[in-house]
Amino acid sequence: MNKNYIILTALMIVLAGGLLIVPERQKYQQIDPDELLWEIIQPTRYVSTDKVAQLIIEGDPSLELVDVRPAADYEKFSLPKSINIPLDSLLQESYQDYLGIDGMKVLFFSNDDIKADQAWVLAKRLGYDNIYVMKGGLNCWIRTVIQPKKPSTDSPSTEFALYDFRKGAQMYFTGAKTETSGKSSNKKAVKIQRKKKKTAASGGC
Amino acid sequence: MGPLIPNGILTGNWDFVIALLLGIAFGFVLEASGFSSSRNLAGVFYGYNFVVLRVFFTAVIVAMVGLLYFDYFGWLEMDKIFILPTYLTPMITGSVIMGFGFIIGGFCPGTSYTAIAIGKLDALVFTGGLFLGIFLFSEAFPLFQDFYYSGDMGSPTITDMLGISAQWIAFAFVVIALAAFWITWVIEKRVRKNITPYKF
Repeated sequence: MNKNYIILTALMIVLAGGLLIVPERQKYQQIDPDELLWEIIQPTRYVSTDKVAQLIIEGDPSLELVDVRPAADYEKFSLPKSINIPLDSLLQESYQDYLGIDGMKVLFFSNDDIKADQAWVLAKRLGYDNIYVMKGGLNCWIRTVIQPKKPSTDSPSTEFALYDFRKGAQMYFTGAKTETSGKSSNKKAVKIQRKKKKTAASGGC
Repeated sequence: MGPLIPNGILTGNWDFVIALLLGIAFGFVLEASGFSSSRNLAGVFYGYNFVVLRVFFTAVIVAMVGLLYFDYFGWLEMDKIFILPTYLTPMITGSVIMGFGFIIGGFCPGTSYTAIAIGKLDALVFTGGLFLGIFLFSEAFPLFQDFYYSGDMGSPTITDMLGISAQWIAFAFVVIALAAFWITWVIEKRVRKNITPYKF
């Protein structure tokens, strides 16, 4: 028999046999590292506490609040209508059904950003989209929505508008008495000076 | 890295360029293997020439082992490769018809074009029939439509069906192919007295 045939036969057997020896390649289906880094630096993945308060008050049906703190903390206090998925249980099969629901925005929060951020990265790496983090977490929530500070008198009007909103939200969430800045109602009517129309006679040239 | 188009390394517009280059290479190999002769092709049915079996089996095992190595080195994601969906009964029927056409006409569609390229008149007649058949089938498609799409099994692979790893299947195929090469060589030697091994 031709020597070339024998060489090629041997080569083919060695190559095919080699496949049996090489260890199986571990494949993790997850997001590309470049893409993950790009997503991490996007500020749009954060939602402010004010925005969250607004969404809760408006009853946005597509909002899914996920408290990633331990169950004991969740029992003591959490946001209304939130569900509890402790960070260390996020990867459990039973909790996966809560993520990746079509049309739902998942918002992670914890006491601060750190745990929620970790949950966000885990969920992102699991391939879920439409996930967000509440900026500042519950600490910021208490500071801004539950105990809003009155802005100083020389603050811009937007600060007062925000304060009013926060007081309203505070009322909604805690049942506190109404007490707004009172500034917005005392707004002076702004006189708008319009440009005088030119009469036909005073036309140029 | 690969597959190049699904992974966005090349845009879908390259489809035709790649198809053209692969088509040229495929035609060249078919012609170089002697597939433009219907005697060579039909020989496999009569037992005097097994070049078809050898060429296609070689292509299968080289591609199979090569793909698995590409997958191992991370050059190709096997999950993203397109696998033709299986419609069991229509496919069996189609292959029986194809087999009859092959042995009666002496060509399969691809080889008939390589035979035209070297000026074979029988291949010219064959492709005429090919176009006529395609035309008639297309016109009568509504009649066959239900059967055409019946028995959809998705895209199962031997690995999925038998639960044996792809590596073992590839190895088994290599062994079967090499054994088939040797057996067909013995048969050919008996049928044809004046046979000489191919030189390359």
